[in-house]
Amino acid sequence: MKTNIKGKFSFPGGTHPPQNKNLTSESPIQQGPAVKQVAIMLSQHIGAACKPTVKKADPVQAGQKIGDSDSFVSAPVHSPVNGKVKEISLQSHAVLGRSQAVVIEADAENNPPKESACDKFTSSFDAGKYSVEQICAAIRQAGLVGMGGAGFPTSVKIEPNPKLPKETLIINGCECEPYITCDYRIMLEWTHQIIAGVKIAKKVTGCQKVFIAIEDNKPQAIEAIRQALGNSGNDDIKVVPVKTKYPQGGERQLIKAVLNKTVRTGGIPPMIGVVVLNVATTAAIAEAVVCDKPLTHRVVTVTGEAIAKPGNYYTAIGTTIGELIEFCGGITQKAAKVIAGGPMMGIAVADLTTPITKTTGAITILTKQQIGDAKFTGRKTACIRCGRCVDVCPENLVPTAIAHAVKNNLMDVAKNYYLTACIECGCCSYVCPANIELTGYIKTGKILLAKQEKRMPA
Amino acid sequence: MFKNITVSHSPHISERLSTRMVMFDVIIALVPAMIAAGCYFRIRAAILIATCVISAVATEWLCNVIRKKPNSIGDLSAVITGIILALSVPPALPVWAAIIGSAVAIAIGKMVFGGLGANIFNPAMVGRAFLTASFGMLMTTWTVPATIDPSMPVISAENKIDARTQATPLSWSKEAVKTKQGADTVNSQIKAMFKGEVGGCLGETSALALLLGGVYLLIRRTITPHIPLAVMASATAFATIMYFINNQAYISPMSHLFSGGLLIGAFFIATDPVTAPLSKKGMWIFGIGVGTITMLIRVLGEYPEGVMYSVLLMNGVTPLIDRLCKPTPAGGKPNV
Repeated sequence: MKTNIKGKFSFPGGTHPPQNKNLTSESPIQQGPAVKQVAIMLSQHIGAACKPTVKKADPVQAGQKIGDSDSFVSAPVHSPVNGKVKEISLQSHAVLGRSQAVVIEADAENNPPKESACDKFTSSFDAGKYSVEQICAAIRQAGLVGMGGAGFPTSVKIEPNPKLPKETLIINGCECEPYITCDYRIMLEWTHQIIAGVKIAKKVTGCQKVFIAIEDNKPQAIEAIRQALGNSGNDDIKVVPVKTKYPQGGERQLIKAVLNKTVRTGGIPPMIGVVVLNVATTAAIAEAVVCDKPLTHRVVTVTGEAIAKPGNYYTAIGTTIGELIEFCGGITQKAAKVIAGGPMMGIAVADLTTPITKTTGAITILTKQQIGDAKFTGRKTACIRCGRCVDVCPENLVPTAIAHAVKNNLMDVAKNYYLTACIECGCCSYVCPANIELTGYIKTGKILLAKQEKRMPA
Repeated sequence: MFKNITVSHSPHISERLSTRMVMFDVIIALVPAMIAAGCYFRIRAAILIATCVISAVATEWLCNVIRKKPNSIGDLSAVITGIILALSVPPALPVWAAIIGSAVAIAIGKMVFGGLGANIFNPAMVGRAFLTASFGMLMTTWTVPATIDPSMPVISAENKIDARTQATPLSWSKEAVKTKQGADTVNSQIKAMFKGEVGGCLGETSALALLLGGVYLLIRRTITPHIPLAVMASATAFATIMYFINNQAYISPMSHLFSGGLLIGAFFIATDPVTAPLSKKGMWIFGIGVGTITMLIRVLGEYPEGVMYSVLLMNGVTPLIDRLCKPTPAGGKPNV
């Protein structure tokens, strides 16, 4: 099926890294590795970390809550397997370095693989029978967080708030990050589940308008969702093809593209009545509300030129990256960099025992050659002020000015150039001909500034 | 499982682009102008370009050695400085003067500031300004293009000039401003100016070759159209007004555009990213400044040509323009 859908909507700035999605885009979602041991991070989201609710040697069941927090901005964590708590200890974390995790040894016999819930949904799904309170409670209890990468607790996002009434719901199916295809496969294979989740989210947020935004490089996904919607008689849910451009899937960029509205610097989308949910999150919402299943598994794209069997795997959260790589036939000699996430915003991990978290959409393995071709390997020159970083910045900043201020430890200058408005998309580093690690400097600058303002321990 | 994992900040991929590639593009774009120079000034062109390039690169190398810094000649920016300096000096300039000019351009124009990216003024223009100030006579001695029969001077008021030290269209234009007549003679040479068959600096005579190079840079997106457009538009506007005031004293806008260093300045000198503003708004201001000051010097000043000084002047205010044109974030200023 070859359809020609052209997205009209976009945002200023941005860049066009090579997609490389064909490695895994035609590979259906498969069952991930049967794990012997999982490490469930107690902090997989933005907000307060969970406290363990189990002790060492406690038996746990699949779906049992093993960590929770009283904080408003937080999300509980659950065990994906039947088994026994081996220990509660520090484990390597892709974002936080080392962090507390509950390590669970899986029962060797009594662990059937978890099936996805997609077969339980049809186009006739009606969210009417669930009350708002019921949905909110189910989403909180299931530990849902934004699965696109940031990991903001979904319960906080969708909960009715009289001060900030929500009008528009945008479902983010852009997947602008190169290589990753997990959301694309979900949209193709779990279409009805996603739409069920959208209907539930629409009901709980009270939004009148719903837009499902998909980049125009995924015409099949656009068609699939349009078809599924066509039968359901929901005219207030619209599929919006948007231009293929990185970072189209950024929350602020997507709102600009779809609604032509701007979220204030330092503000959040609810301030202009908008909620943005990732497609994987909506699928998880449907599962949590209808099947009462917590978030214990997610689709992870294992990809890159240096992996033997790239594909999309339905994987238990807590599986180590190493285990997943081995499951995919291991890596070839050429491999040089393992990234949790995609190549633009993903985090290079140093330790392959780092577990998958709720926000890990992909494991990308890059080759030596790709790294050699990429920046920061001895081809760095001084900034020639060509202005390419200024042109591509989707937030209209001057990355080179911020980076040089940070380099010289002039935090007030960096702040003057709106250091904190940076969304860390990486476009500036991507295009820089002088190979300056602009995004790296800016990220470092944010940490330095936070320390200076005592928002963070030094 | 495997050793030597690389860990770094994101992004982990990058566009295939380097400073050297950007600079190489500019060198390619200068090729038509160099060929034109070779056509009209023959061996002098080859000698001067080679001298300037070699001495510019050698100076950069020497400066790096003295400063104990890693060698930076690989970024090719010194080559560009050398070529542009060579193209903006008279064909008859002695080799020793070219060497001094290139050395000053690199050493004083670039390296004392800390090398590529740190210089405030366009290095080639610093070198040229030094030569103009030090060897004024040599810098205003012009040669007839080799394609013209030496006994037949192309531009003349009363054919009274010495063919060997032929004046440039702009010096005749200056003459016209002073005597309030003769602008027509210059205007009638517009075809020759477009092709480059007139007296002038090595590479600035052929408008055609410069336009070709400029279009190449625009297609390759090595430069944005803002600065060239602003320079040409403001110069044309200025010239049009003067032309309507007195078309005997002031040459036509087209003659202004195709004569002297305006085109090489608009496409190759003012667009030097290091010394031009970062933002688009800043580029408009910068370009308009260069065009207007050039015309002020040409029409009202004592010198026949003003591209060099106008670029240097605007280079000086670039940090101010950048500060003035600091973009506001897409989401507005944060509430801090």
